[in-house]
Amino acid sequence: MNIRSQISMVFHLDKCIGCHTCSVACKNVWTDRKGAEYMWWNNVETKPGTGYPTKWEDQEIYQGGWEKNGDSVSLRGAGKLKGLKNIFANPNMPVLDDYYEPWQYRYQDLFDAPEGDDQPIGRAVSLVTGEPMEVQAGPNWDDDLSGTPDYARKDVNFKNVSAAEQDAMFQLERMTFHYLPRICNHCLNPACVGSCPSGALYKRGEDGVVLINQERCRAWRMCVTACPYKKSYYNWSTGKSEKCVLCYPRLESAQPPACFHSCVGRIRYMGVMLYDADRIEAVASADEAELVDRHLDIYLDPNDPEVIKAARANGVHDSTIVAAQKSPVYKFVKEWKIALPLHPEFRTLPNLFYVPPLLPAMASVGEDGNYDSVNETLLVGVEKLRVPISYLASLFTAGNENKVIDVFKKLHAVRVSRRNSTVGDVSEQQLNTCMNEAGFDTHVANAIYRLTSLCTYEERFVVPAAHREESIEMLESAHDYKGNTGFGFKERPARGL
Amino acid sequence: MKIKLKLIAVTTGALFYGLGVNAQDGEALFKQTCAACHTVGGGKLVGPDLQGVNKKRTEDWIVNFVKSAADFGAKDADAKAMIAEYGYPMPNQNLGEGDVKAIINYIAANSPTEEIATEGGAPAEEIVAEPADPALDPANASAEDIAFGLKLFSGENRLANGGPSCLTCHNVEHTDLIAGGLLAKDLTKVYERMGAAGLNGILSSPPFPAMNASYKDNPLTEKEIFQLSAFFSDASVNNIYQKQRAYNDNLLLYGGGGAFATIAIVIFFLFLERKRKCVKEDIYKRQTKAASSK
Repeated sequence: MNIRSQISMVFHLDKCIGCHTCSVACKNVWTDRKGAEYMWWNNVETKPGTGYPTKWEDQEIYQGGWEKNGDSVSLRGAGKLKGLKNIFANPNMPVLDDYYEPWQYRYQDLFDAPEGDDQPIGRAVSLVTGEPMEVQAGPNWDDDLSGTPDYARKDVNFKNVSAAEQDAMFQLERMTFHYLPRICNHCLNPACVGSCPSGALYKRGEDGVVLINQERCRAWRMCVTACPYKKSYYNWSTGKSEKCVLCYPRLESAQPPACFHSCVGRIRYMGVMLYDADRIEAVASADEAELVDRHLDIYLDPNDPEVIKAARANGVHDSTIVAAQKSPVYKFVKEWKIALPLHPEFRTLPNLFYVPPLLPAMASVGEDGNYDSVNETLLVGVEKLRVPISYLASLFTAGNENKVIDVFKKLHAVRVSRRNSTVGDVSEQQLNTCMNEAGFDTHVANAIYRLTSLCTYEERFVVPAAHREESIEMLESAHDYKGNTGFGFKERPARGL
Repeated sequence: MKIKLKLIAVTTGALFYGLGVNAQDGEALFKQTCAACHTVGGGKLVGPDLQGVNKKRTEDWIVNFVKSAADFGAKDADAKAMIAEYGYPMPNQNLGEGDVKAIINYIAANSPTEEIATEGGAPAEEIVAEPADPALDPANASAEDIAFGLKLFSGENRLANGGPSCLTCHNVEHTDLIAGGLLAKDLTKVYERMGAAGLNGILSSPPFPAMNASYKDNPLTEKEIFQLSAFFSDASVNNIYQKQRAYNDNLLLYGGGGAFATIAIVIFFLFLERKRKCVKEDIYKRQTKAASSK
């Protein structure tokens, strides 16, 4: 056993209101720089939709992620031979138009324009060329299904959704959509790290954050194509690639990242998971049908004495083990099993899990044109969902519909259980049926309810501090460092000190 | 005057004492460097018969001419006339003044006195020197010999002693040959110009510095000289029927075209793998269409 700690995440999609506060928080902290304007380390997509960059899920276009190769995995678009063949040009690179051309408005014209018959306008000016431009696309152009024929109907996940089901999804009054906030998954088997010819990308040992060394990056941009989630971006101004750093300076001081902290809907959870690094290759190369199960198996019980012993032996700090024991992510993913990874078929073993949106159909327009509720009771079962299960299965379980249904049965049971205890109009038979189907009792249902709806800051974010104050003792005298911190020279004077 | 006296003294000395040391050196040098084109009393070969040249020209004149006939010809009217008569200047010889003088001594020793020379009768009869062995006369060459000569010329058959093939430096217009080197003279009409004896002389001991250097350690055999001469004879006679295989422009065309095709194929296969258009292209097109129909 090679136990390592990994900072992991859960996004509860039933709670996401698509306000983009996370995206803006991230933008303000990290990517409000020249060359980084088009980067959205955090973005919120509307599903169904093509996402950002457009059609990022379609690996026929971008050739990202891993593919099964016997008992191992190999990169779909990179590797020694492919790298040599593509040494002068990376053939599946997204172009700026696959994202969008960033722009700013010339607001000063509103004040400086000479008096005339027309209202002055602030023209859009490209942040790349500096020339006035026609805005053609933006990072969330498909938000809330706007431009549906262009975006939502071209969702890559419709591959296994029948034409009738698709049509139903887009009919007025029956329409359904949900939001999908995305950040870097800080995968256990990151394709970006595997693809970098310069070795500039690495996965931090202490918490598994995947980072790009800006000094070693040589602008190959192999990570841009290799990341199947398209979360590595190329900065055209600095000539280096950049990606989500999971606000590691905040993590190190036991704070959640900016996007987590600012989340209005409190949909985000962060915690430590302990996993067995020796099993990564075997899990990543598992058959598609059991990919999700094998993936979840790699995370180990932090209360198991064997695991604790192995973790300690591997240099995992006690405070990290304690954090792993209190991890909300462990509860969602392992205990309750109601959170699923996004696109596990990319085989990168992502560490961001989503609680899928239940989206119950409350009412719809019938064949006679009348608007009516679809069910006798208020809480409809899993069978009458507006969104086709096959669609969600394509997103979260590599096509395994039963796994999505299992999660929905649990989420539904929690609602029925809560309805029973707050309103009390649920028949005992219905309650028992739901609980049996979900496979847990009201205690668990209440625990899920608590962590979903009444969670405090401390419950949502269990981030162990990085103990930099201890690690510095290995390099310099803590006393001297304390006495000099915040004062000194950026560059030593030529005369010496 | 002094030189003349000296010359007379040396000449008479040579006459009286037979072959002196100088004269012996002179003979070796003559055979090595001059005999290919010149004779002493043997008639005209490639160049003039040198019998009596010691009387006809001053020693300075000869030294200058031997050093660089072309340069000297620009200055001296006699030299110019001489070059005009033989069609091309004598190749520059890498000989010191002493060597030239030794050769002049040798020539003087072998030139009869004026009286004898006039009595000797017309040297015109001896103008064409026949090779000693009639079997080696290119006129008697068979078709095989000519064909073999061609192969020796082109380098298809190596020369027995390992010398470089003629084509490297020389050109001959011939159907079966590609354009040869431009370093040395075109040999298409060399047989007409020099004749069998001249060719034999040049090939057996090349007087030209570059050629001399090339064949000094790996000389041509008598048989090879014969075969090459046969080929030259044939080439010069049949020149009118022999069109050079003209690769000049075509080579560029084939080479350039081949390189272009190879690069184009590589680019084509790389292009096949490429993501060729923006994923939003159809969206943009629709936007443009909608905007223009407004």
